[in-house]
Amino acid sequence: MISKKNITLLGFILSTLIFTGCGPTYVTKGTEFPKMYEQQPRSILILPPMNESTDAEAKDYYMTTTEMPFALMGYYTFPTEMVADIMKQEGVYDTEVLYNLPLDKYYEYFGADTVLFTRIKKWDVSYMVIESTLTISIEAKIVSTKTSEELWGYTGTVIVDLAGGTGSGGLGELIAKVIVAAINTATTDYVDHAHTANKRLIYTLPFGPYHELYMKDQTIKLVDQTPINN
Amino acid sequence: MRAPKKITLFSVLATGFLITGCGSQPKPLYNYGDYSASYYHSKKELSAESALELQKSIEYSIENATNSRSNRVAPGMYANLGYIYLKSGNSAKAIESFHKEKSIYPESAHFMDRMIKKIEVAEGKTND
Repeated sequence: MISKKNITLLGFILSTLIFTGCGPTYVTKGTEFPKMYEQQPRSILILPPMNESTDAEAKDYYMTTTEMPFALMGYYTFPTEMVADIMKQEGVYDTEVLYNLPLDKYYEYFGADTVLFTRIKKWDVSYMVIESTLTISIEAKIVSTKTSEELWGYTGTVIVDLAGGTGSGGLGELIAKVIVAAINTATTDYVDHAHTANKRLIYTLPFGPYHELYMKDQTIKLVDQTPINN
Repeated sequence: MRAPKKITLFSVLATGFLITGCGSQPKPLYNYGDYSASYYHSKKELSAESALELQKSIEYSIENATNSRSNRVAPGMYANLGYIYLKSGNSAKAIESFHKEKSIYPESAHFMDRMIKKIEVAEGKTND
C-alpha cells in the first residue's frame, strides 16, 4: 500500500533530483582550490596569452587586460610587457615554447612563485541570419613554479548579441538586424568584453597576500566547472 | 509613550546607514588611472604618441598612488617606468626605478637585481 505520506516523500525526492540536475552546482574556493591555501603563493608571472582563436590581433590586445585584475586580487604581478620583451631578448619568441619551458626556469630567472597561463579559446563574431553574436572565451591557469602543480584554473566566457532584441522576424526586420549587427561589429571593442570575461573567471581566485581577505575567503561560492575542465 | 520615539530614532539611523552604504564606493586597492586603456591603445596604434601616453599614465598612477586602499604604488609600475627609461637610454633613472620596485615589493627583488646587473654589465661598471 502506498500511503499519501509516501507519495509526498517520493515527490520531494524527485523534485530535488530534478533541481540538482538542472542548475549549476556550486563549490567553494576552499574545496575547489585547496593548493592555493596550502602553498600561499605571493607572486604571479603573467605570460603572453596562447591564441587559439581565429583573430591574429587577439593576442596583443588580450595581453593588456590581465595585469590589473590579478594585482587587484592581492598578488604581486610581474610587469607583463617587460617580461614578454625580456623573454624575446633571451631568444624565446614563440608562446608555444614559453608554455612548454620547465617551470623552475621561471623561478630561477624571475623569482616568481607561480606562472599564469591564459588561452584565448574564442575571440570572434559569428554571423547568422537570425542573430549575430560575439564570443570571447578565456581559459586561465595558475601553476606553481616549485611543484609544477596547477593551483587554480577557471574559464570565463562572454557572449554578446550584436543585433539585440527579439521581434516578429519579418524580412524587413531581419535585414535591419543584419545591418545593426554589422555596425555593432565595426564599433564593438572586443577588449571591453575581454575585461568582462576576466571578471567572470577571476572572482573564483583566492585572494592574495596584499588583499584584506587573504586566507579569509575559503567559503566564497563559485560555479563548479570541473566537468568542463577535465 | 516611548516606543514610537524608539522607532523614529531607529529609522533615522537605518536611513543614515542606507545612504552611507549607497553613496560611498570603496576605493580600489591600487590607483591605476588610465593605465589599462593606454596600454591597450599603445598596442592598437604603435606610435610615439601612444608610447608617450602610456608613460604618462604610468607616471600618473605612481604620483596618485596614495589615492587608494593600499596607499601603495601598484605592482610593476616602477618596473614599467624603469623599463621605459632603459629603452630610451637613461640607465641611471632605470636603475633608480628598479630599486623602488624592489623596495615596495620584495617579490620582485630577484628580477630587479637581474635587470640592474644587466645594465651594469652593459656599461662595464661591474667588478666581477
